[in-house]
Order: sequence, then structure tokens, then C-alpha cells
Amino acid sequence: MTLLQSEQLTMRFGGLVAVNAVDLALEPGMIASLIGPNGAGKTTFFNMLTGIYVPTSGRLTFQGQDITGLLPHRLTELGIVRTFQNIRLFSNMTVLENVLVGRHCRLKTNLVGTLLRPPAVRQEEAEARQAALSMLEYVGLGTDRANEFAKNLPYGDQRRLEIARALASNPRLLLLDEPTAGMNPNETADLTRFIYRIRDELDLTVLLIEHDMKVVMGISDRVSVMEYGAKIAEGTPDEVRANPQVIAAYLGKEDAPTVGTEATGAEAIGSPAEATGTAAGEQTASLNHRPNPQHISSDRGSDE
Amino acid sequence: MQNVLKALRANLILGGVAAFTVLLFGGWSGSMIGWLLGTAVGYLDTHEQSIPHPKVGLRIGAINGFALGLWVAAASLVEGLILRPLSGQAIVPLPQDLLHAVVGLAVTTVAAALMGAMQGLPRRRSKLAHQTTHGSLSRRQGTLLILAAILLFFPFADRMAQTGWIATVIQVLIFAMLALGLNIPVGYAGLLDLGYAAFFAIGAYTTGMLSSPHLGIEWNFWLVIWIAAAVAAVAGLILGSPTLPLRGDYLAIVTLGFGEIVPIVFRNLTEIRIVEPISSLFATLLNRPELAICLVGCEQPFNLTNGETGINPIGRPWLPFIGSFSSTNYLPWYYLVLLLVIFSMFMINRLRNSRLGRAWTAIREDELAASSMGINRVNVKLLAFAMGATFSGFAGAFYASYITAIFPSVFDFSVSVIILCMVILGGLGNMIGVLLGCVIIMSADRLYLPQFAQVLKGFLNTTVLPNIANPALRDFLAISVDPIQMRLFLFGLVLVVMMIVRPEGLVPNSRRRAELHSEDVVANESLADVRSVG
Amino acid sequence: MKPWQKNVLYIVVIYFILLLGPIAGLDIPRIIQDIVQSPSLLFTQILVGLINGAIIAIIALGYTLVYGIIELINFAHGDLYMLGGFAALTVMGMFGMEDGAPLGTAILPMLVALLVSAGMCAGLNVVTERYAYRPLRNAPRLAPLISAIGVSFIFQNLGLFWGGLRSFIPIMGNTAAAPKSFPDLLPRTDIFQALGIETKIDFTVKDLTVLVVAVGLMVGLNLFVQRTPAGKAMRAVAQNREAAKIVGINVDQIIVLTFLIGGALAGAAGLLVGLYNNTIVFTMGFTAGLRAFTAAVLGGIGNITGAMLGGVLIGLLSALSDQYLSSRWTDAWVFGVLVLILVFRPSGLLGENLQEKV
Repeated sequence: MTLLQSEQLTMRFGGLVAVNAVDLALEPGMIASLIGPNGAGKTTFFNMLTGIYVPTSGRLTFQGQDITGLLPHRLTELGIVRTFQNIRLFSNMTVLENVLVGRHCRLKTNLVGTLLRPPAVRQEEAEARQAALSMLEYVGLGTDRANEFAKNLPYGDQRRLEIARALASNPRLLLLDEPTAGMNPNETADLTRFIYRIRDELDLTVLLIEHDMKVVMGISDRVSVMEYGAKIAEGTPDEVRANPQVIAAYLGKEDAPTVGTEATGAEAIGSPAEATGTAAGEQTASLNHRPNPQHISSDRGSDE
Repeated sequence: MQNVLKALRANLILGGVAAFTVLLFGGWSGSMIGWLLGTAVGYLDTHEQSIPHPKVGLRIGAINGFALGLWVAAASLVEGLILRPLSGQAIVPLPQDLLHAVVGLAVTTVAAALMGAMQGLPRRRSKLAHQTTHGSLSRRQGTLLILAAILLFFPFADRMAQTGWIATVIQVLIFAMLALGLNIPVGYAGLLDLGYAAFFAIGAYTTGMLSSPHLGIEWNFWLVIWIAAAVAAVAGLILGSPTLPLRGDYLAIVTLGFGEIVPIVFRNLTEIRIVEPISSLFATLLNRPELAICLVGCEQPFNLTNGETGINPIGRPWLPFIGSFSSTNYLPWYYLVLLLVIFSMFMINRLRNSRLGRAWTAIREDELAASSMGINRVNVKLLAFAMGATFSGFAGAFYASYITAIFPSVFDFSVSVIILCMVILGGLGNMIGVLLGCVIIMSADRLYLPQFAQVLKGFLNTTVLPNIANPALRDFLAISVDPIQMRLFLFGLVLVVMMIVRPEGLVPNSRRRAELHSEDVVANESLADVRSVG
Repeated sequence: MKPWQKNVLYIVVIYFILLLGPIAGLDIPRIIQDIVQSPSLLFTQILVGLINGAIIAIIALGYTLVYGIIELINFAHGDLYMLGGFAALTVMGMFGMEDGAPLGTAILPMLVALLVSAGMCAGLNVVTERYAYRPLRNAPRLAPLISAIGVSFIFQNLGLFWGGLRSFIPIMGNTAAAPKSFPDLLPRTDIFQALGIETKIDFTVKDLTVLVVAVGLMVGLNLFVQRTPAGKAMRAVAQNREAAKIVGINVDQIIVLTFLIGGALAGAAGLLVGLYNNTIVFTMGFTAGLRAFTAAVLGGIGNITGAMLGGVLIGLLSALSDQYLSSRWTDAWVFGVLVLILVFRPSGLLGENLQEKV
């Protein structure tokens, strides 16, 4: 059964079409990648999958259940969890607390339990702590820095911690937004192995946005390519590599062959590459209303 | 001697405070403040060093306590010999004065030495240490023991020393409850609430309505205090809900708006008459007034809150053996409010170190990430408001019963700001800091300022004014030199200076310190704003 | 929520407003009756509302300018206006002005008072910015807000102190905290009557003067911001501080200029309110400040035209509420409007819709 399916998922910001009728299906246990040039709409797509944006139109189903427009925390409860392109740890909380927050939705203690703290609650808390510590071990951070502030970790470890925090919620589907950004080749190789490992050991499905083609081509069972908000190709790494449209998109060829939109992949859906000036749509994350103009230039998803 | 000199320098601030106190209050106040501050000195000067043995701690404490005691003794003598005559107070005989000084010195030294000795106890860190010290106290336990002794015996000491501070201390403790409560939304969850006095008012008015002859309902205090807390909590939920999509300064202004509206409502709910609107419409249209269905206040408009005059009298708690609490005996009130504060601290501590507490911090740190990690930000924020309100409900109930009368003017904006001052001065998000902020501000406001004003007035009248020839200037000085009128100025100054010099407060939470000093402010994007697009 | 559920919700809300509204003076049948019985009263109240609104608008401009530039709710602004009132009153006292002094002798004191109070407030505002806000420019947003609240308290206390200077300024009355009476200098000649028009509406020279000065200040400000290089620089800084810096605008200078203008407007408003209401008190800054802030938010904070519109609307709301709802509840209604706008339309009436800006 398909784990996650998006049908004609579309996101418009005013006149800008950031994501245009994207279909995507993820089978359980696969590692899929989403690639595309900067501003192609990948992070916006992620934001819709995780409930940060409500799609303008289209439908999302997860394990057969309609999840379109659910709030982020509901999606996390259902088993979709993500990391962020620009690491968003709770920097003034300890490493351990960060992981415990990730576990939040699997804990049941309510207000009364918190105040009265009966044995069951104590036990749950102790177990959560234990689980968080072993999660830190699992991602290779070790437990001796568990009580340090997250912001004091080196960059690579912050990425790991973000993944640990995400995994703490026992997800079914893990969305990684540029997990290797800023890593050196060694760290990247480590992370690649680690993604394989969590897929196999934790029975996860992984969807990642990635710019490092070596990672993408090496790791992915399937690659989807987006450009100007639309999906232009999909298939195995080899198929995608050979696709002329993808080459055009990446090499920035002036006259991209928009004829013959049929992508090569078996599951490719021939979506017309709409090049209607949607590039700016990617910058839209901070659509605040008036109170916080300072955030207008905030960088969520802006450097795609 | 060298040591004492060093200790004198090290305890300059506390010594100044002690000396100032003695200068203002005179009498046995030196022993009182010496007792309290001596204990503080004993702790402060030792707890960060590793003291190998209680005897070492005792010695260090004694030296520092002695240094502090010198301040006290000197101030005692100055007060008795110089200040009293100058400010037109009754003159105390010299032997009496010397006695004040000597006893003050002794008490201070002993208090500091005792606390210092406790800091020499083993920390009981490892299992091993635990075994070797089996049966004796740990450092933490010893410290707590001394604190408990101070809190328990304070009223008796106060009575013995005839300082009469207990009424103020009760006020301090009431506001401590409020400050601890406000610390939940502001310090933990990062939601600046400028209308917190509204919940205080709601708690107090609930108590007033349910235990006063005004409405003919006179329920037991022990029941009403819980109802008041529950009503305040519900009010927290209701008033908190519209603020959820907002953040930062807009949230602050909306809470301020509520903080203004609530006292206005209590002030004006004096003539309530409710008529069912649909029947009333028909009655008007058909010109048959009898058709209008009247619901409340039919014969005579219903007076719920008694307006500016307020509700009076309000019932007092009753206990077996003690009977009904009286206005002349502060003891039961003191222990009751102390118990309430300790209960609040206990509960808030539990909240803080729980799933919910972590969620509050996470929301404060990064709302979007928190929400993506499975935190229901609506629930979590509402709970922060509601929990904060609950403790002010307790405080309000106690306050109403203690004062036995409540007026709307007690709960205006300045009260909200004063509570906020305490939280900020002490250190956002830190319970000990908040308590310290509360003690400093309340005692300055309710104890030192009035006394200072009185002493100053005496000084002016006996020493300065008779020597001034210019009548305009004399008149001006007589009227204008009134420190009580400087209250607002001082509060304002505290806020501004703290924000600029030490935004993390006197006792910072390590977390907040990091946050407030970071140059790059993390753009904490609210989910609602982003979602509002869709 | 489904549409029908929404409709049911609206009906329930309206029912409850009708049910409970009369407690706070919102008794619609009575209001209609009142208006029908004496329509001229309505017009008089609208006039009162317009004039008060114009004064509120001038204060609101101070909020909006500062917010537009550094995103700070300058909480102390209302109290600054109060201090302006005291400065003006002091000038009046020095000139020995009393109620009903002939207009000829009163013009000079009024002009001096305008200069003094505007100048003093402008200076105070700049000093405040330098020492209480500028050090916090890179701090989290709540820090300057808390600092501003502190400044507001300090100003209030200054007002209280000022009011106690009766030995030097006899016009300050007896006690420090009591409201001070401001000399009634503008003639109360009814304009319509003077023109020979028969009407029941009161519209005096006094009303007209205050209205003209207020409108003049607003027009002047608008011209300044739209036409002059400094005004353009202000708008540039408001749009994007970094970019403005890059094109060579001295941002600090522009911020100082903003505080200068805002302060001067507050001082002028202080004089106007004294002349119009003939009473000032050290606590008036807080309420007026909140009303003005409400006005700024209502119009769309950061938007100059919006602040003027908002000010007039809030003025009308409070005047009409005083007359037709209940003066005891007016503040609650105003704050209620503030809460409603912030919750339902934080961008205000004229605030740009940022969704399209991105």
C-alpha cells in the first residue's frame, strides 16, 4: 500500500504558483529524493506535507487517510516528521530536552498527571528519558553531552541531533530537508550510511531534498525532479540522469525542450512544465500578517 | 583582621542594605536584618567554594558575618546617636543603643557562621559519599533546614524585635504567588502578559462574591479559594484564546487591553438588568411592555460588585483550635500564605519539569519547530495562561480574605507592571530569582519607602525647614520631598536599567541569559501567520 | 468549520450581544429612541468626536511613525503628550493667563506654549531614544517594549512631580495629583450663529481652532513625509533598514528625526488638549496613549493616513459611547475594539496586505 500520496498538490501565494499540481507517491520502505534547482518549490512542497502550509488545492493521503490541511502536530502524531533546511533546534534547551520534545506526542501525561505525578507518570518520564538517551546513542551523539545546550554542539552534531529529535517521535515517514548541507565529504558519507541504517532498522520511509547529486544518486530508490513548481521528471537515478529536461533544468539551457514533456521514468506523470514565472514563490515562507514585519526577510525555505 | 577587612569589601552591597535598614528603622531592626542578611552572606560567600568541612565553613561564615555585623553595629550607633535627634524622634539612652549594636553584631555573626557551617557539609554527590555520611545531613538539607527555621520563626522574631514587619511580609508572600504565576506565561512560555492583574482581580472578586453578605452567599474560605483558582484558570483560558495567533508586542497589548477591561467591568457591574432581547423586541413593536421577559434584576437592578465601594466584608478562614482568623493576629495569616507559596512553588516546579514544561520552553524557543515536533501549540499556550492565572486566583482569594474588602482600583495596570517588574528584576524563568525580585520590590515599596518618607519628613521638619528663609522654597520642600511619590519613577527606572544593564535579571536562568544576550535574534516564526495564507 | 455552523455561531454571538450588551450601555432600542428624539445632539457629539479624534490622531501619529521605523510600541508616547500639556500649562502660568483672557493677549502665550511644549517633548523623546531604546536595538523585541513601559512610568512620575511645583508655578493648583485647570483662552463664539445660520449644533471658534491646528499638523506631516528628502529617507528606512543603509542613508539620524517629529506632535497635542478640555492631569497620558495606540492599530500601524483615520474613528467611538452607551463603559468599549482589531485584522483598516508583498 502506498504510504504517502499527493494528488495534484498545489500551493499559490497570491499570483505566484509555488507548487503546481504535483503528484507523488511514496511506497513504504523506500528512500526517495526530491531535487530541482533553487526556487523549484521543493521546500514549499515539504511545508505542505508537514502541515505548515495548507495546500491551495489537491489532496494528501497518508496510509490511506486524508491528511490535507491537518495541523503539523497532528501529522507528527500520525507519523510524519521532518528536519529543517536551516537547523531549527531549541537552541537554549539541552540536547536531552530536545530529544524529549521530539518524544512529546508519544507521551500521555496530562495536566492532572503532571501535578499529581503518580507512579505511572514517573515511570513514563523515566522511560522517556531512557529512550531519549538511547536515541542519542543511536544517532552517534553519545550521552555525555546530553546536558549541554543544543546550540553549543558543533554543526554536524546539530544536524544529528535534529534527526534524533525527529526519530524520537517514532515516525513512519521521515522528511529530511537538505540533510547534508554544509557537511564535508566524510560527514556526508556517514550520514548516507546512517540514512540506510535507520531505514532498515527503524522501518522508515525517507524522503529527502538534496542538492548533493552524489548522495541523491547513490541513496535513492527513486528521484523526482521539480522545476518552477512542477514535477518534470521522476524515475530511478539512472533514468533521471538521462532525462534531457532534467539536464536542461540543471544546466540552465536557454531553450529547454518543453516539447515531449513525457518523462522517462515508469511512474512519471507527464506534467507540463509550467514556466509561468513562479520562481519567487519559493521565498514565501514568512507570510506574516502585519504584526511582525521584521520577519519578512526571514529565511525559511529561501535558499532553495 | 585582614580577613575581616576583605570581608567588609566583599559584602559592600549587603552591608549597605543592612546599614540602610538600621538607619531607617532603628531599635532591634539591626538584629532582625542581621539575622536575615547574615544567613544570606553565610550562603553567598561559601556555596561556590568547595568547603571541606563544616568547621571551615563556620569560620568563613563567621568572618563575613562579623564584617556585615560591623555595618549593622555602626549604623545602630549612628541611628541612635545622630539621626534620631536630627529627625525629631524620641531619643534612646546610650546603653540601650550600645545593646542594639552589640546584639546586632552578635546575631549577624552567628547567623552567617551557622549557614557557612552548613555549606561545609558533604554534597552527597556520589554513592560513596552517601554511604560515608549516612545518617547526617547533606549540604542541601542543611541549607533548607536553616531556611525553614527562618521562615517558621520569623513572626516570633519580628514580635520580639518589635519591628512590625510581618504585615509587609504577608504582602510580599501574596505578591510572590502572583510573580510565580506570571512567571509561567512570561518566563517559561515566552508570552508577555501585561494584564496579569486581571486574574488577580478575578480571583479576589470570586472570593468576594462567594463569601460575603453582599450577595448573601457566605461559603467557607477553604472551598472558595479552590473555586477562585478554578474561575481564574477558566478566565485564563477565555482571555488567552484570542491571543493565540498573536505574538510578541501585539500579544502584550491585547493582554493589556484585557487587564484594563476587567477592572472596568468589576467597577461597573452595579446595575444589571437583563431582558431577553427577542421578547423585548416584540414588546416594543406591539407596545405591550409586559411581553418582555425579564431575566435578572427585574424589580431592582442587580448589584453584583458594588462598584467603587467594593465588596466588604469578606469572610475569613476558620480552623479548629485557631478559630476564625482575626485582623489583629498575623500569625495564622502568615503561615497560611507561606503554605500557599510553598505549595505553588512545588506545583510550578512539577509543571516545569514535565512534558508540559518542556513544551512551553520549546514553544518559546521556536514555535514552528515545536509544532512540527508534535506539540499542540494552542493547548500548550492556553495551559500556560491558565496555569499562570490559577496561582493568581489563589493569591486573589487569600488577598480578598486577608484584607476583607476589595475595590476595583486595587487591580489596575500598575499592579500588572509591578508584578512584571519582580519577574524581570529577579530573572525570567527562574523561581528563586522571581522570589528575590518580589522580596526586593515589595519590601522597597511597602516597607522602606514609607519608612524613608517618614524619617525624611521628620528630618526636614526638625532640621532643615526651620533654617530656610525663602517661604516658597520651604513650602516646596515640605510638599515635594515625598519619596512615596517617587514609586512610579523607581519602578520605571528598574525596568529601563534592568533591560539595558542586565536583561537576564539578578538570578538569571542560564537559558534566558543565553537568549537575551544573543545578538542574532532567531526569527521565531509563528505558525499561524504562515498558515493564514492557505 | 462548515458554513452553516459559522452562521449559527454568528447568530448566537449576536444574541448574546443583544442579551448582555445593555449592561454596558448597548441598549439598541434606547439608543435609536435617543437619536430620533434629538438628532442635533448626535451632530454635536460627532463634532466633539471629530475634534477629540483629531487630537488622538496627532498622538497616534507618534506611535505609527516610531513603529514604522523601529517596530517598537513606544509605550511612553502617551505620557510624553501629558508632559507636553504640563509644559504648556507652565507657559500659560508664566504669562499669567487666566480663563477668558482676551484673545489678543492670549495669542502670543499660545504660540510660545506650542513651541515650548513641542520642543520639550521632541527633546525628551530623542533623549529617551538615545538612552532607553537605542542600546536595545538588537535585543529581542520585548526588551525595548519593557524599557518603554519603564520610561512611561518615569514620565508619569515626572508629571506628578511637575504638578506639585505649586510654590513656583501657582497655576499648578493645590495638590500634586489633582487635575489642573487649564486656562480657557479660545473664544466660545458660536460660528453658525455668527454667520446667521439657525441651528442647534454647537460649533464654536474654539472647536474650529483646535480642528484647524490639528488638521494643519497632519497635512504638514504628510507633506513632509511625501515630499522632502528627509521624509523620503524615513520611508526608505521604514521599508528596509538594511537597504537604506546601503544606499547611504544615515539610519540613526533618521530614527532620531522620527522621534523628534513624534515628540513634537505629542507636545502640540498636549497643548491642544489643554486648550480644548481645559483640564490636564498626570494620569491622562496612559489612557490617551492607549486610545491613540488603538487608533494607530485600527488604521494600520506604520501607516500615516491610517493613524489619522483611526484617530478620528476612535474619537467618534468614544464621543458617541459617552453619549449613547455609557461613559463609564467607554474605556471598555475602546479597549474591546483594540482587542478585536488585533485579533481579527491585525493589519488594520489601511495596513498593506503583506501576503501579497512577499
